[in-house]
Amino acid sequence: MNETSEQLGALETANQPSSQSANAERRPYSVVIVDDHAMFRTGVKAEIGRSVAVVGEAADADRAVAVVLRTQPDVVLLDVHLPGGGGVEVIRKVHEKNPEQKFLALSVSDAAEDVIGVIRAGARGYVTKSISGSELIDAIRRVAEGDAVFSPRLAGFVLDAFSGSIDLATVDEDLDRLSQREREVLRLIARGYAYKEVAKELFISIKTVETHVSSVLRKLQLSNRHQLTRWATDRRLV
Amino acid sequence: MTATDSSHLEPDMHDSVTAPPQHGSAVGDGMGPSAPRTESAPATAALPIAKEGAPDSGPGDAEDKPRATRVAEGAWLGGVCTGLARHLGWPLMVVRIAFVALATFQFIGVIAYGALWLLLPPGSTEKAPGLESASRAGLRDQSKPKRRIDWGMLLALIALGVGLLWIMQNTGLGISSQLFWPVAFACAGAALVWRQADSEQQKRWRAEAGGRAWLAPFVARGGWPALVRVIVGLGLVGAAFGIVIAQQGQISHLPEVMAMTMLALTGLAIVLAPWLHRSRSALNQARAEKVRADARADMAAHLHDSVLQTLAMIQRQAEDPKAVQQLARRQERELRNWLYDDELHEATLKAALTAAAAEVEDERGVPVELVTVGDCDTSDPIQALVRAAREAMVNAAKHSGADKIDVYAEVDEDSVEVFVRDRGNGFDADAVAEDRMGVKGSIIDRMARHGGTATIRSAPGDGTEVRLEIKR
Repeated sequence: MNETSEQLGALETANQPSSQSANAERRPYSVVIVDDHAMFRTGVKAEIGRSVAVVGEAADADRAVAVVLRTQPDVVLLDVHLPGGGGVEVIRKVHEKNPEQKFLALSVSDAAEDVIGVIRAGARGYVTKSISGSELIDAIRRVAEGDAVFSPRLAGFVLDAFSGSIDLATVDEDLDRLSQREREVLRLIARGYAYKEVAKELFISIKTVETHVSSVLRKLQLSNRHQLTRWATDRRLV
Repeated sequence: MTATDSSHLEPDMHDSVTAPPQHGSAVGDGMGPSAPRTESAPATAALPIAKEGAPDSGPGDAEDKPRATRVAEGAWLGGVCTGLARHLGWPLMVVRIAFVALATFQFIGVIAYGALWLLLPPGSTEKAPGLESASRAGLRDQSKPKRRIDWGMLLALIALGVGLLWIMQNTGLGISSQLFWPVAFACAGAALVWRQADSEQQKRWRAEAGGRAWLAPFVARGGWPALVRVIVGLGLVGAAFGIVIAQQGQISHLPEVMAMTMLALTGLAIVLAPWLHRSRSALNQARAEKVRADARADMAAHLHDSVLQTLAMIQRQAEDPKAVQQLARRQERELRNWLYDDELHEATLKAALTAAAAEVEDERGVPVELVTVGDCDTSDPIQALVRAAREAMVNAAKHSGADKIDVYAEVDEDSVEVFVRDRGNGFDADAVAEDRMGVKGSIIDRMARHGGTATIRSAPGDGTEVRLEIKR
C-alpha cells in the first residue's frame, strides 16, 4: 500500500505544484459517512479521521438526508445498500434541495446494476469497501475538487456499456458515444493505471485526464439511452 | 485486509437504528423490486429482463424452453405475446400477428389474449442472493426509471384496433350490430374490473398500504384511479345489460332494470369482496412463506458449506497469519461471487480468466484484480492466451513484490487483448537471460505458436506490464 500512497502523494505534487503549501494549511475536507454498519463507520473514521474532518454519520436514508443537508460536507461517503431505499434515494432527496452536494459511493457490492445505478443517480465516483485508507482519502480529495473517481472495475463497466454491441441506430447524440481519447483513458484506468500514469502514458496533463473522466461521468449520467440500464441487467446473459 | 474490510461480512452488525427488514410483499413471487410491471405500454424505458430465455436466443436452444410467462420487457400490452414467443421459440412478430389475425374471427384473439393475461404468471427476474436480500430489506433503490409512454405508438395501436373493428363490422364478419355495443361495453367493463386482479398491481397496493392491512382493499388499491376503474367497469357492464334490455323493446323498463342491475352487482361485490380478499391474501402468504423458507434453506446450506468450513480452518491455522489471510481472501471472493455476481458456468474467456486469477491468488496470496470488457467462447488460441496470462500473473506474484496485480481483458470483434500489470520492482527486459524459461517459453513463444503476440514492458522500479493479443 505504501507504493500507492507514494504515487498518490506524487500525484498531488504534480497536480498542484504551486498550491502545495497552501494545501497543507487549508482546512481538511469535511466528510459525512453514511453506512448502516456501525463497525464500518468506526473503521473508516479511524482510517481517514486524521486527514479529513468527519462531521457527521448516518445509518439510514432519512437520517442521512437530514445530516447531509444540515452539515453540507464537501463529500458524502455513501453506502449503496442502505435501509430506506438505498444510496440512490439519499442522492435524489439531497439533490432536490442542494444539487451541488457531492457523493462518493462506497460499497461491498460490485454488481453492475448497483454501480451504474448510483452513478446515474448522481454520485461522482464509486469505490469498493476494500479500498485502502490512503486511496480513499485521495478519492475524497478528488471528488471534493469536482473530479470523478473511477475504479478499474467501473471503467470496465463503462467501456462495456458504451461498447459497439449497442444498436447503432439509437446512437444519435454525442452523449451516447465516447470519444477516442475518453476510451483510451478509460482503458488505461481499467488496466490499473493511476491518473498520473495515464497522463504519462498518453503524453497529456493530469488535468486533461481528469477532464476526460469527468466528461465520461457526465455522459454516463445524462445519456438517456435505456440500454445503459438494460445492459447492466442482462449482461449476465452474454 | 484491514479491520474495516471484515465488517461487511458480519451478517448482523446493524446498529439499533437500523430498520428491521420489511418482509414485504416483494417476497411473494420471489421477485425483486425491479420486477417488471406488466401493463407496460411500449416499453421505452429500461425494464429488467426475465433471466431465463435471452431475447435473442433463437429457436436453436429449444431443449430448455423457458416457462410461459408474461414478460414486461418490450411488451406492448400485457407481455403475453413476448412470453409466448419465448416459450415457443417463435419470432415475436409471428405471435403478435397471429393474435391480431385471430381477433378478426369473432374476437377469439382478444379473448385468448385476455385469458392468457390473467392465467400466465408474470415472469420473474432472478438475481444474485445478496442483491435480492438487499432489495427485500429496502436497502436498495426500489424505483424504476420513469417510463415514458410512447404516445405515438399507443395512438397507432388504438387506431389499428378501431380500424380492424370497423372493417369487421362493415364487412359483416363481426358480431351483429345489435350485440356489438353491449358486448363491447361488457368486455371493457370486465377488463377494467379484472385488471385489478393483476397480481403485480396487488403487490404495489399492499406495499402502499403499509402496516394497515385491513385497510388495504379500500385504501391501498392504487387509490382513486383504481376505485374509479372499478366503478366505471361495473357501470359499463351495467350499461351493457341495459342496452340488451332496451333492444328487447322494453325501453320503458330501462331505469328499473338499470337500478336493479346496479343493486345486484353492488350486493354481489359487497358479499364477495371480503372472502375474495381473504382467500387471495392467504394464498399469497403461503407462497411467500414457501419462497422465504426455500431461501433460508439455501442460505443455511451455503453458509455451512463455505463460511463455516473456512472458519474452522482458520481456527486450526491461527498461528500462521499468511494462511489465515489466504483463507479469508478466498472465502471473501467466494462469498462475494455468490452474493453479488452470478457464477460463471460456461466455458468463456471471462470464466477461464476468473479461474486463473483465483488460482494465482490462492497459491501466491497476492490479490488479483480482474476487469473484463466483453466476453467470448474459449477456443484453442484463447486457451493459450489464458495460460500465458496465468503465467504472467504467477510471475508478477512471485517476482515483482507488488501487493496487487491488475488484469484487464478486452474482447474486440476480431481480437482479444489481455494486460497483466503490477506496480512492483520491474526488471530490465534486455538483461533477462535467454534461458529464463518462464517469460520466454510460457508467454512469448506460446503466444507466437498460436499466432498471437506478447509484449513485455518493464523498467526497474517501474513495475511490469505484459500485453497479450491474439486473433479470435
